Amino acid sequence: MVENLTVKKFINGIKNKEFSVFEIVSELVKKVEMQDNNLGAFLSFWDKEALKIANDYDVHFNFSNDSLYGLPLAIKDNILIKNKKTTAASQILKNYIAAYDATVISKLKEANAIFLGKTNLDEFAMGSSTENSAFQITKNPLDQSRVPGGSSGGSAVAVASGEALAALGSDTGGSIRQPAAFCGVVGFKPTYGAVSRFGLIAMASSLDQIGPITKTVEDAEIIFSKIAGKDQNDATTFDYQYQKIKDLNAIKNLTVGLPEEYFIEGISNEVSKGIDFAVEKLKKLNVKFKAVSLPHTKYALSVYYIIMPAEVSSNLARFDGIRYSRNAKFSNLKELYLKNRGEGFGKEARRRILLGTFVLSAGYYDAYYTQAQKVRRLIYNDFEEVFKKVDLILTPVTPTLPFKIGEKTNSPMEMYLSDIFTIPANLAGLPALSLPTGFKKDGLPVGFQIIGKRFEDNKVLGFGKFYESN
Amino acid sequence: MLNKEDLEKLAALSQIELKAEEENSLLNDLKTILDHFEELKELKTENVPPLRGGTFNFNVLRKDEEGEALEKFIALQDFPLEKDGYLIIPNIFD
Repeated sequence: MVENLTVKKFINGIKNKEFSVFEIVSELVKKVEMQDNNLGAFLSFWDKEALKIANDYDVHFNFSNDSLYGLPLAIKDNILIKNKKTTAASQILKNYIAAYDATVISKLKEANAIFLGKTNLDEFAMGSSTENSAFQITKNPLDQSRVPGGSSGGSAVAVASGEALAALGSDTGGSIRQPAAFCGVVGFKPTYGAVSRFGLIAMASSLDQIGPITKTVEDAEIIFSKIAGKDQNDATTFDYQYQKIKDLNAIKNLTVGLPEEYFIEGISNEVSKGIDFAVEKLKKLNVKFKAVSLPHTKYALSVYYIIMPAEVSSNLARFDGIRYSRNAKFSNLKELYLKNRGEGFGKEARRRILLGTFVLSAGYYDAYYTQAQKVRRLIYNDFEEVFKKVDLILTPVTPTLPFKIGEKTNSPMEMYLSDIFTIPANLAGLPALSLPTGFKKDGLPVGFQIIGKRFEDNKVLGFGKFYESN
Repeated sequence: MLNKEDLEKLAALSQIELKAEEENSLLNDLKTILDHFEELKELKTENVPPLRGGTFNFNVLRKDEEGEALEKFIALQDFPLEKDGYLIIPNIFD
């Protein structure tokens, strides 16, 4: 039963004593023991501790309506939980024990959630397939010869395979939404600044956001409303009182834009059919569509692969071989840096650090980095213009169905292209939701994306709920 | 165009030791990616102000109050080498 148990049903079930926290956590533990050696979603799994806490919650039953009482969650392994190993799937952090809780974790602890373990990711969240993890690959539970997407692949698989009721991921260019689409679940990247990143191992700070991966949009809303809000430890956060849209029928009056630049050659036939399926369904529900244009979309990938590595090269400078871990043999300080960083970072991390160092170096800074920031403004302005005409934008999440394990590992550029539809929302700081269309090809799901205005996370999630309830 | 010498200079700036056998593939990857960036030159951007980050917040200040800091032994638990509360690092001067 845990496969189909949503957060919403769990909360109601606990409230009405239809089942105990212990019963549900035990079932999840059994599932992980049975199948996760093969699927590879978890990097750490704390069965005994989770069962003990579950039992305590049952014995000292203290349910309150606005809590997540006993809710078993999986957390991406780049988010700190105090006294737990946090590796970011990197050799350089393989023994790192977090000294404090991320703000999202403190908030979830306050809401009485339970953490089952930490999930696999591409090293430092750099990748689109979870194949860049230094420790293990993760398989797509719907077809185990295929990738689950990435970088939050472990979190998406944990939810899709019934090993956790919900999970947290992080999204810098699509790392929540793309794996959610590949695994047939829901992923939400909130407005930039809605959720604190304090305690998230930073990748590209002007783009990173934490968000939920869940079975339903309703669940994503429940988790998001618990983790959002201002935090003095993250200066980008703002006062956020999430206002749920109560009357989903009001959604029908919203106008949805279909940007022509997202319906291009290179989209696979299956994805096209999936998107048509979603649009037709919505038209039957009397949702109004409008053709719109986001003319600078084609430049988003270049802008992203300049700005993100620039920030990566700076953020990853702290992993110096002096702090966190010191493994390699060295004879002087210079060698300590070179060897620990050379051996500690995997290939993709090194590639991005070098690329970032290049675009920031004297002589290239203006041509690459400043130009990218200017075009980022143009992309932002495109959205501003379109949002004068429509309330939401509907697009594909990915150009193709999940690809085969190993298919793109030798071609970074091809791997990067799998994020072309998710990157623009990060560049513009907009809330974006990935949810299943309901259309499948050979058991593989097609997702679609809803993008909203900054701070209108409620309309994006409301629209998603409207779709899934019809 | 980026050459091997440039790559080695970047590696030195980034404090990363590269393996000789991976230099060619890394160089090719970087060239392919930089080629892709050429498209940005098509755009006229003289009058476009750069978007320099994700947030529009400014002057974010907290109150000047005492707060709780991490306890010293917790903050040090992940430091690789330590003796009597002192952190051990390699010699800085040769």
